Amino acid sequence: MTPPFNRILVANRGEIALRIIRAAHEMGMQAVAVYSDADATAAHVRAADAAVRLGSAAPAESYLRVDAVVSAALESGAQAVHPGYGFLSEQAGFARAVEDAGLVFVGPSAATIAALGDKLAARRTARAADVPHVPGTLEPAPVDRPDQLEAVLLAAEAVGFPLLVKAAAGGGGRGMRRVMAANDLPAALIAGSREAAAAFGDGSVYLEREIMPARHIEVQLLGDATGQVVALGERDCSTQRRHQKLIEEAPAPGLTETERRRLHAMAVRLGIAAGLENAATAEFLYDRDGRFWFLEVNTRLQVEHPVTELVAGVDIVQEQFRLAAGASLSARALAAAERAARPTSHAIELRISAEDPARVFAPTPGRITRWVMPAGPGVRVDTAVEAGDRIPAEYDPLICKLIVHAADRPAAIGRLRRALDETEIGGIQTTLPFHRAMLAQPGFLDATGLSTTWVDAHWDGPASRAKAVRVASLAAGLAELGEAAAGEQGGSPSSAGPDGSDGPHHVADRADRDGSVPAWRTAGRELATDRWPA
Amino acid sequence: MSKERRLTPPTMIAGPTRDAGEPAVPDGPIDPRAVRVGVAASSRLEGDPAITLSPAPDPAIRLPQDGVASPDLPLIDGVATAVILERFGDIRARLIEPADAGSTGPAVRTNLLLGPVRIDRAHGTRLREVVVDGWRIEVELEFERRAVFRERARRGAGTASLGGPVEVRAIIPGRVVAVSVATGDSVEAGQQVLVVEAMKMQNELRAPREGSVERVGVAVGDTIEVGDLLIVIH
Repeated sequence: MTPPFNRILVANRGEIALRIIRAAHEMGMQAVAVYSDADATAAHVRAADAAVRLGSAAPAESYLRVDAVVSAALESGAQAVHPGYGFLSEQAGFARAVEDAGLVFVGPSAATIAALGDKLAARRTARAADVPHVPGTLEPAPVDRPDQLEAVLLAAEAVGFPLLVKAAAGGGGRGMRRVMAANDLPAALIAGSREAAAAFGDGSVYLEREIMPARHIEVQLLGDATGQVVALGERDCSTQRRHQKLIEEAPAPGLTETERRRLHAMAVRLGIAAGLENAATAEFLYDRDGRFWFLEVNTRLQVEHPVTELVAGVDIVQEQFRLAAGASLSARALAAAERAARPTSHAIELRISAEDPARVFAPTPGRITRWVMPAGPGVRVDTAVEAGDRIPAEYDPLICKLIVHAADRPAAIGRLRRALDETEIGGIQTTLPFHRAMLAQPGFLDATGLSTTWVDAHWDGPASRAKAVRVASLAAGLAELGEAAAGEQGGSPSSAGPDGSDGPHHVADRADRDGSVPAWRTAGRELATDRWPA
Repeated sequence: MSKERRLTPPTMIAGPTRDAGEPAVPDGPIDPRAVRVGVAASSRLEGDPAITLSPAPDPAIRLPQDGVASPDLPLIDGVATAVILERFGDIRARLIEPADAGSTGPAVRTNLLLGPVRIDRAHGTRLREVVVDGWRIEVELEFERRAVFRERARRGAGTASLGGPVEVRAIIPGRVVAVSVATGDSVEAGQQVLVVEAMKMQNELRAPREGSVERVGVAVGDTIEVGDLLIVIH
């Protein structure tokens, strides 16, 4: 089959840049990477056929520079630009700049991004397409106009508290603030607007009712130039913390076929109304009364697209390239859409991030000293990291997506547990312990506890960590005693403290003065096995 | 105004002070081989316990459940404990413990990673990263004798240092985006003093206790690294 393009440019970094380069190479296309100074030797640079430097580490000086990315594409002879997720992926101005340069933007058109990518415009589109949206305002709040504060407060009272201040250009919870009472609203608007401006270059914020408890369920859409839009299936992304998704799965557990058809149809209506010609995701909240509320559309490849790929049997990135080159929806994608309401397998993705789950998920950038990833049946690892890499503080903390695919949800959870047991990361704290704990939560295992607020309400990181502290202390102490004893035996090279302090290795071991290795060390393993039947 | 500006739920970015969570000084003679293990300041949370391990002084100590003379078991906080560390090369290891004290149930096996030992010259201790169930715990190893000596010295000076200045240091790198207090300001415990942006999120730093700001070590726009002095509260 002829490749859709000869050469494409990937305007991103990290695991998603690598994921896209892999798709390009599999289709016989050359891939051009772009990078900041922090990423000069990164995996996506090494994997690409050519790489262009954008600027210094700060995103505004590199991955967010429209001009630099477009000239990199032109100078490297790329015909198309894939934006990945984050950075410029949902900026209509970037898509337009790519199109204006005579290149193909791999994603929805600039017009569609404007109509759907802006959350306020998307809410108006939903209203026009007869898709119920979450109640709230449909115009940006006048953050810079103190004289209009009264009007904002009136609008807020109409929406009801608690409510959410959300960034019109936002995603992933950036710029979002939860507001309990009218008093807190002005500060939340200013702070949300500032964070949104820093993250997206657009400080517009609006108000939305908080629907709680709710599950977050989203639909993967593909559209082509003939106006056809299909749904490849839905994903449940309810396990979130501060609106950052932590676990995603496909299909959404517990939905009936009728609910799935209704949900997919709503999403398709939205896609058609916006003239969707590539990949996008329509996000909904699913409340306890079984109602779906339209939340927003992401006009790009999602972080969690792999779970849909595995269940639908479609490579979404490769579909994106074909659609961008003008092809119609493939037979494979159409067949997958036909089956989407009756899924026959299950996939789950864990987002492993450089964050400390015992310290309210504070970021933990730093150097990775050990990196062993799981393998075996049904395991997919999307990452661009390896041992020795430094996780920069400038970018998103996501370092790895661990994805499993199995016949059904219980089998997928068992597979995930097994895969987590095989995973070894040293040097930085990650969200691994959180994921291990979630896979033991009854409410997650039977899917009855899925809710966007579960983690904020129930996760107790320090309590979960306490057992590990005990084991770590015992292990380090026993290792020290063992190495001290071994040092007495053979003169371990580490036994002499370089600073001359009386390190534990210098201590005369009374019990072992006769030169024998302590019996509990040699006999211990057998004893443990014999006396505590496994 | 700045006091009311809630950016994010409070994020702890200041590490607790160095000597938190250490056990009481034992009475009586101290085994010179005994090792004190605590969580190092870099990864310590309030309330993290420290334990003391030593090889058994008396080989006649018995396993709790069978009464048969046994090989000497290590003493953990003075109690002979059936716990075994199985090593698989330099890094991988497994801790084997009985399910519960006196239980005959299956042993609990916990896989873990042991990082290389690092010497902390400033404090005369040895540091080691241990990863258990995905938790990365940096532990601090010190001779019990030395720890006790250090504690006695500190207690001697204790009354004078109580209420002394508290140094708040960064435990994540990032960029300072707001400084809400100045030298001489009085602060309440929990009051926001700094906002640090790291990985695109804004993290509030709150005062660990009330007092007056003796020094502000950073300014808006500064890039900070782990361990940098941010603020001193007296």
